[in-house]
Amino acid sequence: MRNHKEPHTLAGAYVMDALDDADRARFERHLASCDACAQEIAGLRETTARLGAATATPPPAALKERVLAAARRTRQHTPAVTPMRPRRRYLRTAIPAAVAAGLIGISVTYGLANSTANQRLDQANQRLDQVNQSSAAIAAIMTARDATMMQGQVSGGGSATVVMSDVEDALVFMARGLPALPAASTYELWLVGPGGDRPAGMIQPQAHGMTSPVIARGLRHGDHLMLSVEPAQGTQHPTTRMMLDIQL
Amino acid sequence: MARGEEAAFDAFYDQVSSPVFGVILRVIRDPAQSEEVTQEVLLEVWRTAFRFDPAKGSALAWVMTLSHRRAVDRVRSAQKEADRERRAATKEVPYDEVAEAVESTLEAERVRRCLGGLTDLQRESVILAYYKGYTYAQVADLLKVPAGTVKTRMRDALIRLRDCLGVTA
Repeated sequence: MRNHKEPHTLAGAYVMDALDDADRARFERHLASCDACAQEIAGLRETTARLGAATATPPPAALKERVLAAARRTRQHTPAVTPMRPRRRYLRTAIPAAVAAGLIGISVTYGLANSTANQRLDQANQRLDQVNQSSAAIAAIMTARDATMMQGQVSGGGSATVVMSDVEDALVFMARGLPALPAASTYELWLVGPGGDRPAGMIQPQAHGMTSPVIARGLRHGDHLMLSVEPAQGTQHPTTRMMLDIQL
Repeated sequence: MARGEEAAFDAFYDQVSSPVFGVILRVIRDPAQSEEVTQEVLLEVWRTAFRFDPAKGSALAWVMTLSHRRAVDRVRSAQKEADRERRAATKEVPYDEVAEAVESTLEAERVRRCLGGLTDLQRESVILAYYKGYTYAQVADLLKVPAGTVKTRMRDALIRLRDCLGVTA
């Protein structure tokens, strides 16, 4: 099955892993010297990913503990050069920020997959467009050279993850497992430092208490990131007890 | 792993395990083997996460590409011996089966609608290759059409699906 004239037509079979080893090797050689192909392949891979995600099936619950146990025994590969980072008092993880950024993409797509079937398609599309617009800004922070990940537990339930970049002078906040709030209330983020407290954005948990990522900018030395429950329209200063305290 | 790292892996697992297991199960079909391959893929993604480059595509595409590839590898290595029986056993038109099994989520609904917009040959080529793990030469054999035709139909089909699903890349 060789077609030496038009290797390009193999793009579809290639992204579906439908080439035998010889054809695959030949196509990859072609790819290396064909920028247009690489771009087409990227678009087709996003497409097959959607075909795959449409089959999403929760694995048996026992698999999770097995995989976590195996992960505990597995070292992450790291790039040859690791940028120096300041020491942080709070939990810092070795998970590269880039993959964390990518997880947002997954939660967006997969979150969509879990919506009720009745939800209008165009509503979903609008949401996706909004997400796409902000995702570039989020990716910039999460993939910054100095991106640092911190995590904290929210009193009252849930956990928060922050990826911060001094270079970008911004952080991305995500949480999961936050308890749902009555309609009259919202979660509000705060930057609290020696110079006082500033509101840093409001968040509404979606399904499973997951929040969409929120960007906070204008970080100052000595800031803590905090979270409280406030009236739905938000406030300028916190009025209830803080449920989270991450030193930035 | 550090404690924070473990929490991150925990979150990562919750995010990707269903789509990863879903596609692997669809290709391999045997639940026990699918769990095995799911574990391999998740650990591989975890170990090599630093290689992920968001400029080259979404994390979902990265993870699903690896998942599908590993599922197909597993099927192909088993296929060599069982090839004939397997061919005989999968002569049925697979569309309804796949369509039925796919959960009725919004995303699945959309994928199903877009698959429905393809020609029969395009649709069957995609289903046999992507969901069943056949090579295009095998697909040509099963559908009794020339291999060159299958090849171009696969590409045409994915381009149509890409546009129908509103993929931007």
